[in-house]
Amino acid sequence: MRGVELSAALAARFGDKFLGLDPFPGLVGRVRFDPSVARALFEYLRDEQGFVHLTMVGGIDWVDHREVFYTLWSDRDRTYLQLSADLPADHPTIASAVPVWPGANAHEREAWDLVGIRFEGHPDLRRIFMPEGYEFHPLLRSFPIHEPEELEVKARSD
Amino acid sequence: MSAPPQTVPAPAPAAAPAAAGGDAPLPVVDQAAVPFFEIETLRAREFIPAAKEALTSLLKEKAEGNVIRPVFNWAGRNSLFPLHWGLACCAIEFAAAFGARWDAERFGVVPRSSPRQCDLLIVNGTVTWKVAHKLITLYEQMPEPKWAIAMGNCATGGGPFRTAYSVVPGVDKLIPVDVYIAGCPPRPENMLDGVLRLEQLIKERRD
Amino acid sequence: MWINMGPQHPMTHGLWNLRVRVEGEVIRDVEPEMGFLHRGIEKISENRHYNEVITLMDRCCYVAGMSWEQLFIQASEQALKVTPPARAEYLRVLSAELQRIASHLMWYAAFVQDLGLMTPFLYGMRDRDLVLDLFQSYTGARMTYEYMRVGGVRNDAPHGFTDQCRKVLDWLLARFVEYDQLCLGSTIFRKRCDDLGVLKAPEAVAYGVTGPMLRSAGVRRDLRKDRPYSVYDQVEFDVPVTDTADVTGRYLVRMEEMRQSVRICRQCLDWLDRNPGPVLADHLPRWLGAPYAPVGREAYLLKRNYPTGLGFSMVEEPHGEAGAYVVNDGGEHPYRVKFRSPVLINIWAAKRYLPGYRIADIPPIMGSVDVCVGECDR
Repeated sequence: MRGVELSAALAARFGDKFLGLDPFPGLVGRVRFDPSVARALFEYLRDEQGFVHLTMVGGIDWVDHREVFYTLWSDRDRTYLQLSADLPADHPTIASAVPVWPGANAHEREAWDLVGIRFEGHPDLRRIFMPEGYEFHPLLRSFPIHEPEELEVKARSD
Repeated sequence: MSAPPQTVPAPAPAAAPAAAGGDAPLPVVDQAAVPFFEIETLRAREFIPAAKEALTSLLKEKAEGNVIRPVFNWAGRNSLFPLHWGLACCAIEFAAAFGARWDAERFGVVPRSSPRQCDLLIVNGTVTWKVAHKLITLYEQMPEPKWAIAMGNCATGGGPFRTAYSVVPGVDKLIPVDVYIAGCPPRPENMLDGVLRLEQLIKERRD
Repeated sequence: MWINMGPQHPMTHGLWNLRVRVEGEVIRDVEPEMGFLHRGIEKISENRHYNEVITLMDRCCYVAGMSWEQLFIQASEQALKVTPPARAEYLRVLSAELQRIASHLMWYAAFVQDLGLMTPFLYGMRDRDLVLDLFQSYTGARMTYEYMRVGGVRNDAPHGFTDQCRKVLDWLLARFVEYDQLCLGSTIFRKRCDDLGVLKAPEAVAYGVTGPMLRSAGVRRDLRKDRPYSVYDQVEFDVPVTDTADVTGRYLVRMEEMRQSVRICRQCLDWLDRNPGPVLADHLPRWLGAPYAPVGREAYLLKRNYPTGLGFSMVEEPHGEAGAYVVNDGGEHPYRVKFRSPVLINIWAAKRYLPGYRIADIPPIMGSVDVCVGECDR
């Protein structure tokens, strides 16, 4: 019910920049949007739809492109909403949510650190977990992980 | 503040009142008259032979290896002060060992917050490369003689996070470790067992 | 002047660094520095079987392992389309609430010790050990349980467990009175904690602060009530709220939460006594019921049957709202696992609630946040 209303409102407001609302059990839904309207969408959702609380920001590396997702909580409706935008793999950039939700600061630094998504307008976009000067974004699929068996084989060959 | 010239003898230490009254003979206690109580601990029983040996060897003037070292070891191993530093899960069991049930302080293990006051570093948790140089700094700030215990699988060999990109696979890559404690996390009595084994190592130390 | 408090500092209760800019004694700006315990749990999870990730969940938040197991299991069950039996749900809720008591007792022990009182540390650890003994009786471990499975829990509680559990809960209720007398009855405690570290409701919501810190600011948000997961809609409890928004408020909220947890535990125990049954779903795919991850030809044959889907779960963890997002692309491992840590955000808001106070106020304020760096850095 809420999802249908929200879908209509977003379509009226953002036109073809709003790419659809997928059903997601337990949530209002999963809004897919074009990254160019990110900032306007955030402000609209906070001010007019009551999504006052940003729960998480994260990124997924789908090899050919990267996805950035946001989860919002509405105190009014007592429910969650997920936003998702696809970013090109060679230039994964989206507007920062820090001016809208100050709590996004740490989340976005984490997404930059681990998945390499760049947030434009972030006041202090540095690594948060890995030390400064680390060259990689470890949660990318191209970053290898050693399987225990490989380590054992290596140790035996040493 | 220049060094005093060689010709001037160094001033005698101001606090030398120990000589005063030192000549008075110690009161002689008749051993048979003292009632014998079964309250002396194991540690005191260890101390009496050590002290006896110390006194006899002092008379023979070969104090260094045989005398001072055992007494020094005895004092050191009964007052191991670990650094109050929690890294990960094992730190919670480390804290539980100082609770009412296990009471680690009865072994003389008292956590101190400054590395300058410590002689034992219990690495209780996963060590990441980001914290590695800070761990080495803390270890080097501790005065000699000092010991290190790798508590838990993570500190011993990386544990379940061995394959991670940010974890040091074993703290012995960074600092010398004396005792390894297995477990994920080790129970408090397991940790205390590790401390007692370290005490055994210190007891046998001769260098 | 910038001062480093950490990563080795008695205030931190873990591996993190608080950089403080001071003018004289007064704090002007702070900057928390994280990542000293970043163990790459999300990356390792991408290379592990679903039931093997539970091992990491216990170690992710080592004072609230059960809550994090429940978090990941709920998200995985949604992604894999598995439904657990009712008895398993009640056992999970019982475990999570016992874990809340244990976690709050750990917080109590550490926090009041920071104020200089030694007795509460001994009391808190003593009573926490009783709860851990209960865990040990049905999971075999004190802290790292690996109890929950996709589709249920590993085993049922042993014979006589419910009676023993009731005894411990009665004992704890009597002790909570003692705690309050010890702390709230102490003028020193009140003078040290009242009107300290104030974070009012609008700022707390904007910064994304959750858990007891938010409820002490007067916001009645508790996911167990607002968005009931598992069987929290079947049990009765209240959500404690204060409007002082200070350190004393957080103390009061946590103390009352423990009492409410005792209430929930008793209802779960009554239900468990009346309703025997299976604790693991019997229609599980073979590769989920197996104690090991299938490899080689077996995995190849089973792979055709893997479902795909997304899983999202939020639980009210002792520290705040924890979240998990599991992307299942049809492999034997999750494609991506993302966790939301409440502690990371609660510490981050220190930029808001620390400036203006003095250096000596940092230990009580940061103690009242209840820091668990394992889940913060993951």
